[in-house]
Amino acid sequence: MSQSATTWTHQLRRGLRRALVSALLGLALPGVTDIEAQAPDLPVLEHTLENGMRFLLLPREGPATISFVVHVPVGSVNESLGSTGIAHVLEHLLFKGSTSIGTEDVEAELELFARMDAVHDTLVRERGRVPLPDTARVKALEERIRALEDSARTYVRTSEYAEILARAGARGLNATTSYEVTEYFVQLPANQMELWFILEADRMRNPIFREFYVERDVIAEERRARIENAPRGRLWETHTAAAFQVHPYGVAPIGHMDDILSISRPAVEEYYRTHYGPDNTIVAIVGDFDPDSAVTWARDYFGPLERGKPPPPVLVREPEQRGERRVEVRADAEPQLRIGWKTPSIYHDDSPALAVLVNLLVSGRESRLYQRLVRDDRIAASVTAASGVGRRYPGLFTLQATPRSPHSPEEVEAAIYEELQRLHSDPPTTTELERVRRRLEATEVRRLTSNLGLAFQLVDSESYWGDWRTTFAWQARMAEVEGPDILRVLKRYFHDEGRTVGILRRSEGTAGGNGDGEVR
Amino acid sequence: MISLQSLLAAGFVVVSGALEPDPRQSPTGAAPIRIEQEGALLPRADTLRPVGRMAVEQLQVPPLTFEPPRADQHEVDGVPVFHLHDATLPLVDFMVQIRGGTSHFPRDEMASVSGMATFIRNGGTQSIPPDSVALLADLLALDLGFASGGGGTVASLNTLTATLDEGLDLLRELLTSPGFHPEAVEIWRAQQLEQVRRREEDPMSLAYQEFNRLMYGDHPVGWVLEEEDLAAARLGEGRLREVHRTLFCRDRLTIGVAGDVQWEEILPRVERFLSTWPPCRSELQPAEEPELRRAGAVYILPRATEQTTIVLGQPGGRRDEESREYFATQVGNLILGGGGFSSRLMRRLRTEEGLTYGASSVWTNPRGYEGIFGVVTQTRAERTPDALRSIAELLEEFRDTAPEADERNRAVEQIANGYVFAFGSAAQIVARQMNNHVVGLPERWLERFLEGIQAVEPEEIRRVVAAHVEPEEMTVLLVGDPTRFDPRIEGFGPVFRLSPDGTVEPWDSSRP
Repeated sequence: MSQSATTWTHQLRRGLRRALVSALLGLALPGVTDIEAQAPDLPVLEHTLENGMRFLLLPREGPATISFVVHVPVGSVNESLGSTGIAHVLEHLLFKGSTSIGTEDVEAELELFARMDAVHDTLVRERGRVPLPDTARVKALEERIRALEDSARTYVRTSEYAEILARAGARGLNATTSYEVTEYFVQLPANQMELWFILEADRMRNPIFREFYVERDVIAEERRARIENAPRGRLWETHTAAAFQVHPYGVAPIGHMDDILSISRPAVEEYYRTHYGPDNTIVAIVGDFDPDSAVTWARDYFGPLERGKPPPPVLVREPEQRGERRVEVRADAEPQLRIGWKTPSIYHDDSPALAVLVNLLVSGRESRLYQRLVRDDRIAASVTAASGVGRRYPGLFTLQATPRSPHSPEEVEAAIYEELQRLHSDPPTTTELERVRRRLEATEVRRLTSNLGLAFQLVDSESYWGDWRTTFAWQARMAEVEGPDILRVLKRYFHDEGRTVGILRRSEGTAGGNGDGEVR
Repeated sequence: MISLQSLLAAGFVVVSGALEPDPRQSPTGAAPIRIEQEGALLPRADTLRPVGRMAVEQLQVPPLTFEPPRADQHEVDGVPVFHLHDATLPLVDFMVQIRGGTSHFPRDEMASVSGMATFIRNGGTQSIPPDSVALLADLLALDLGFASGGGGTVASLNTLTATLDEGLDLLRELLTSPGFHPEAVEIWRAQQLEQVRRREEDPMSLAYQEFNRLMYGDHPVGWVLEEEDLAAARLGEGRLREVHRTLFCRDRLTIGVAGDVQWEEILPRVERFLSTWPPCRSELQPAEEPELRRAGAVYILPRATEQTTIVLGQPGGRRDEESREYFATQVGNLILGGGGFSSRLMRRLRTEEGLTYGASSVWTNPRGYEGIFGVVTQTRAERTPDALRSIAELLEEFRDTAPEADERNRAVEQIANGYVFAFGSAAQIVARQMNNHVVGLPERWLERFLEGIQAVEPEEIRRVVAAHVEPEEMTVLLVGDPTRFDPRIEGFGPVFRLSPDGTVEPWDSSRP
């Protein structure tokens, strides 16, 4: 490790120590209350290339490993009807290699791509024919695409990208696509840093979307596993769709099945060109590395990428909800309950109070709803909450409860409303709020102890707030939340006109426990 | 029937006797892909450094220089204590392993032993009520963790160095003087009953439980918590205290300390921690070795799901770390399905055939009893026979042909180059050394493991696979909707219908 990196490591240690002590102990012990409760002075090196690509570099002594996170602020909110799931499809395809990695003959592949894409266009038109498609023709066209993809596979070096990384000792190679963010991440031994630059720059500079149609089938299987096969997944999808009738938060990031199976390769290429410019990409690198080399490689490998056009903004806003919405899903499953209330984005001043409220209601065995539903009334086996859907746009504060047999979702629902109402007459105590703050801060700060956790935190904060330090400032804002803030947000957002209720019920005719303890 | 003339008029051409539109008339109007040099999709300036395969092949990777940290082993009042100092952050991890779990007790204690970690965590102590324990933990920002399994209980404390004493006192109280507050026990019992009721809602979890039950039968490894296990009488305070007295005693302990505390500083604290632990009354008797199922058969557990969950496997031997065979099983498993995207199962079932989102293999090698070699995947109901056929072909190939040297090298390099990740944190290092000690692995096992892996030859992999993998002797479990695939599965033995209560009967297609 270079001298400068060693110096940074000392700064990092000092910064993290201060963050830990102030966040975890803060007010608990006398003598440490004066410790700064703001952003730690982590020695993060910020480096922006001429093309706008941002790097957050944090050298850190310790295990000889490095964590890499590539963050693109793009997700399912940046999609349109008919091509839902395209951001996620693209994420899968970026593991297929490049114009050199993963292929024996890229020209031959591209020639076949054009042919199968043309067949696919015809197939999509045929599938959409009204009143009915010609099923024989659909089948013939599908088989033709399969045959062409089999031909293309003869030129493919299957999984070469992943194999190169695996051979280098990589761990945790993966990516995620959410409503508004796509992130690619991997951890490598410290001596393999340049390999990461070569591979990542290659897939940004020379992407190629091979094995396209079979990968769509893979994604369809992913959807089946997460949604169709999972009763709670179906309830989640239906409930969110009911809550958001206009805004794209109403569509699951994985997309509708029919869209997944009709997205075209040219559409994905276009989506890539539109959203994956270097100026729309943030990279965090945390671990045992020389920052000078990182800066040089960032410039040399990613510098040639030309700045993209600004991606189109998401203009659509969900109209104000003017009445309760209720949806029901039937499945061969025991009951489940979801209740959602419309809430503002994280940029709103009420956001910290809502984050504290989530914890006040459901975090830990001392939380209000756990005590009422699970401990005292014994009508639920568990209760959880989430504030969000996404975070950039007005979202949904959701409570989910698992009724305990033989109690119904409606009983649990009524008890939840009573408990929310009780907050007005029996507002949160100082101790309750203090415990919530401690828990939130401890969780966030412990995340920083791992290189990968720290890398995620840096890109996340940079992307949402334009500054990696803001996460810590936001934590400080949560610490300022007091009882009246909780009551204010309760009154403002938790009313029945903005409420959406989803209930999972057992389908008639399917077997089930009889409610008196018998189990199938 | 479509006429050639109509197709030509519509812009189609005939290629290789099949239907295909002319790509030059692509209705999407998308610009054709241009290949510049290596085929960039994005317009770009000249690159300063080359990327792509050639750049990877020419990359000179410097050697990785790191000194693997190692915890020191001490003994305090007869208890092994592992310690590794790490002052990076003002945090200390204090870990306790207590040998003895469900596999050392009869079935009627399954609930009391399984729930012990939760009862200790949530039930308070004899002097501190549950709510006060939780309040202390929150205000001192202590992270307390407890888990119980077949072989033992693990308890851990992560605390700021400044609150180490308070944290250790609380941890000791919880472990040695648990309150077993009836409310905490009842809440756990109710939650478990609800889980039993909802057991069939998660096909993967259901499949794992049923597969273990099929393979291990009436043995702790195959047990699944049922309603009768959760009878209130089995969770009375007297029984819990008896189980606690049997398990939570000094002779079963192993302790680990990692973080911002020197040995001289932690030693008196460990002594204090141990001061209230009584000696053990008796040795624990492990369960008899299980008789694993060996006859090939297909079990279908009907569920109206979109996908079929497929679990198949057979006995995979027991670990003998002195034998080269063990290392061959590890490399072989990595090649077949343990190596993520680049494994054979993922390449074939996911990348090439689009049959699944995930497919993997496992080769468990417990020391005390025989483990399992197995394959797991999920695929849409209609493609169940296709997925099974592909798995069977891969297994045959795996059995009959030694991997190419390059594939073997790739797997070995994956393990060897990733060796550094075994030293990710002081707590990870200490926890591993504790665990190796508890299960009786040799000194410096990790180093020996790496040497063993690097010595594996392709032919050794073939031999060990041939010795343990026989598709015709596989137990195959399908959880899914047999009305959507042909249940006459060939090549794996007779087909049976399996009910969630464990009832097995020959498959009768006429039955709904």
